[in-house]
Amino acid sequence: MKKRMAALMLTMAMAAAPVSAYAADASQTLSVAVTAEVKTLVQWAASEEQASLVNNQAQEGLFRMDENNQPQPALCDTYDVSDDKLTYTFHLRDGIQWSNGDPVKAGDFVFSWLKQMSAEATNGYSFIMNDYIVNGQEYSEGTVEADEVGVKAVDDQTLEVQLKNPTPYFTNLCTMAMFFPVNEEFYNSVGDQYGLTPDNMVYCGPYVITEYDPAVGVTLAKNDNYWDKDNVKIENAKVRVMKDASAAYNAYQSGELSQVELDSTNVAANKDNPEFSQTVDFRTTYLQFNLTDDVVGNVNMRQAISHAIDRNALTEFVLADGSVPGNGLVADGMSGDGEKTFRELNGDIAVYDVDEAKKYYDEALKELGEVKSLTVLVGDDSVSKSVATFLQSELSKNLGLTVEIDTKTMQGRGEQMDANNYQMGVTAWGADYDDAMTYLDLWTNGTPYRGNYVDEEYNSLIADAKTQTDDTKRLDDMLQAEKKLVAEDAVVSPIYHKGSATLTKSNVKNLITHPIGVPMEFKYAYFE
Amino acid sequence: MVKYVLKRLGYILVTLWIIITCTFFLMKNLPGTPFDAERFSIMTPAQQEKVLEMYGLNDPVPVQYVKYIGNMLRGDLGTSFTYVNQDVAKVIGSRLGPSALIGLQAVLIGLALGLILGVLAAWKHNSGIDYFTMILAVLGVSMPNFVAAALLQYFIGLKWGVLPIAFWTSWSCSILPSIALSFSATAQVARFMRTEMLDVLDQDYIVTARAKGISQAKVLMKHAVKNSIIPVVTVLGPIVVNLLTGSLAVENIFSIPGIGSLFVDCIKANDYPVIMGITIFYAAFYMLIVLLVDVVYSLIDPRIRLARGKEN
Repeated sequence: MKKRMAALMLTMAMAAAPVSAYAADASQTLSVAVTAEVKTLVQWAASEEQASLVNNQAQEGLFRMDENNQPQPALCDTYDVSDDKLTYTFHLRDGIQWSNGDPVKAGDFVFSWLKQMSAEATNGYSFIMNDYIVNGQEYSEGTVEADEVGVKAVDDQTLEVQLKNPTPYFTNLCTMAMFFPVNEEFYNSVGDQYGLTPDNMVYCGPYVITEYDPAVGVTLAKNDNYWDKDNVKIENAKVRVMKDASAAYNAYQSGELSQVELDSTNVAANKDNPEFSQTVDFRTTYLQFNLTDDVVGNVNMRQAISHAIDRNALTEFVLADGSVPGNGLVADGMSGDGEKTFRELNGDIAVYDVDEAKKYYDEALKELGEVKSLTVLVGDDSVSKSVATFLQSELSKNLGLTVEIDTKTMQGRGEQMDANNYQMGVTAWGADYDDAMTYLDLWTNGTPYRGNYVDEEYNSLIADAKTQTDDTKRLDDMLQAEKKLVAEDAVVSPIYHKGSATLTKSNVKNLITHPIGVPMEFKYAYFE
Repeated sequence: MVKYVLKRLGYILVTLWIIITCTFFLMKNLPGTPFDAERFSIMTPAQQEKVLEMYGLNDPVPVQYVKYIGNMLRGDLGTSFTYVNQDVAKVIGSRLGPSALIGLQAVLIGLALGLILGVLAAWKHNSGIDYFTMILAVLGVSMPNFVAAALLQYFIGLKWGVLPIAFWTSWSCSILPSIALSFSATAQVARFMRTEMLDVLDQDYIVTARAKGISQAKVLMKHAVKNSIIPVVTVLGPIVVNLLTGSLAVENIFSIPGIGSLFVDCIKANDYPVIMGITIFYAAFYMLIVLLVDVVYSLIDPRIRLARGKEN
């Protein structure tokens, strides 16, 4: 009896213990989770979202995104654009400082931009400057010297940039982490140890990094040298590495996290939760056909496949994580003419229509003869695999076509596509900036990875859009190009646009997230 | 004895060299480059060339191998590709501590609990405690540690709120993961101890000891346990290596910066220098522990002589 009593009391004591015993600092500290390690903070080496997230709080570029994803002047005070739209002159704010007290100079931008354009940039993002800035490409290939590249410090407060073509979204690009300045003097004093520890970096953003461990995350504190510090309300923040989705969910419930991204198992259970919100990322998962393949080289075959995929069923029942059907290549919500989005202007150009699919399929069979089976190449993550299984069942059900699934590691899938060793592959592209060109430009190089698509009409539309000074004409070129690529030639079949479902604690206000580029802004957030 | 240990160390070096060589060439056959496949594909050939050159990946693989061995002998394991500019030794070192701490605690829990349960089960053979131990042993061995981890996190961390859910901020963060990891060790040790004890308790010298009127406790502790513990030492070697080298699942669930997740991450990312570094570490560690177990074995059981033949 005594024993039972003791056991009962112990159980009661445990039950009575406060649920949030370890959530003491959550009300003061903004805490978000990332699903992968913050392996590097060196901006020309980092390509992952988590590095971009951290750098965007600790650093700042010429512009910063507002809540409507529009660039607002940040370190830059004003700027002028020449009449031919090729020369941008940025005037830096007065008195802006690094966290060590050094002034932020135009030369600090030139320094980091040149690094990003050079071969030293291992993040694969050199194109984001080289495509636009005069002599960037040549510099990265080592054929011109730094002083011939179109980015110059006229004086300490004036930065002049020469572009190859008119680029209406150039100020958008300037909000990205690759465009942040790096204190040249400081960098040279620490050399290749730059960015490895909090002390080996200096900061010009709303926060400074006080702790950094790639596998644990980053601790941030408000930067007292920041020009707009009066508008930064939250003093302390944390970016924590949590690789396990259900662990992150538990941590959110216990109050250790201010916000958590939900995986599909938790989306349904939380749809009515007032803390729930859902956004569509500018990221499209699509089926890339290899045009040099005997079977899917046939346009009718590609059309048949593309029309046989019920994208609604996929996003609603299989993914169920907030993703939306990919009825076009360019993601929903990406900017169009200022009033309507690109997607609204071009409509649904990849649709599910079994009758059409069958018609195309019969036509294809007439031209090809017998088709035994097709192979779809996918990465080995669980989402890609379920997408492939879904495709397999759709094509079998709607066309009677047998599809085999070839699963490879992400690296292996990429290599196999580069080597032209595939029929069709499930692949994805996340927009780098808010303009359709971020997608459409990919299919101009005719590489195996892009299905060996070489089309004069398409290329001339893109080339025209790139040099066009008339924004309406430029948009029109891109609308036509997307139609040509997806609806007419069916080079790719868009499947879905990735969505994210998140829970945010009700006392956290104005924690802005962006569908592209820098993922999140701590600067404007506050506790209620 | 010294001669024997030196000889074994010699073997270890040769084995290590074979392991390094095999791993190096196998690793170079992994598909892809250490760089993001999607991003790498949009670089111009000239850029790709330059990037590969910077990391010394343009040389033929045998040349890379010779260079690597040369650097390694000078104590330089290179710098990581993904943890940009970080020394491999430093990267591994920083991840070793948490895994070792959790592993060590798990070993201690497993050993203590396992021994107690094993002894009790054998002593009270075919009683409630015996059945309980056997059920626990089957569960402990068959239940994957991530199930235990998830349950502990949910109930003890979230529902009762008595220990941290995850993270690596204080010692208390290491308790739940240690418990989660200790289940299988407990089970293994308990089973071995029980079987061995049952065997020993049947021996004539135990009967003699009892006949001499020595107390039950003394018989157990002085004669039975001491003689049953030897086989446990054998299994302890692999258990220790297994636990101290980290667990991907438990580390991920509790957000612990350990070496288990580092190993998987670096293989996925083709981070060659880190893959090599961890392989060398794991292999050397394993072989040294096995050697240590053999030495300890001879110390606790005089019947076993390490070096037989000529020297005797």
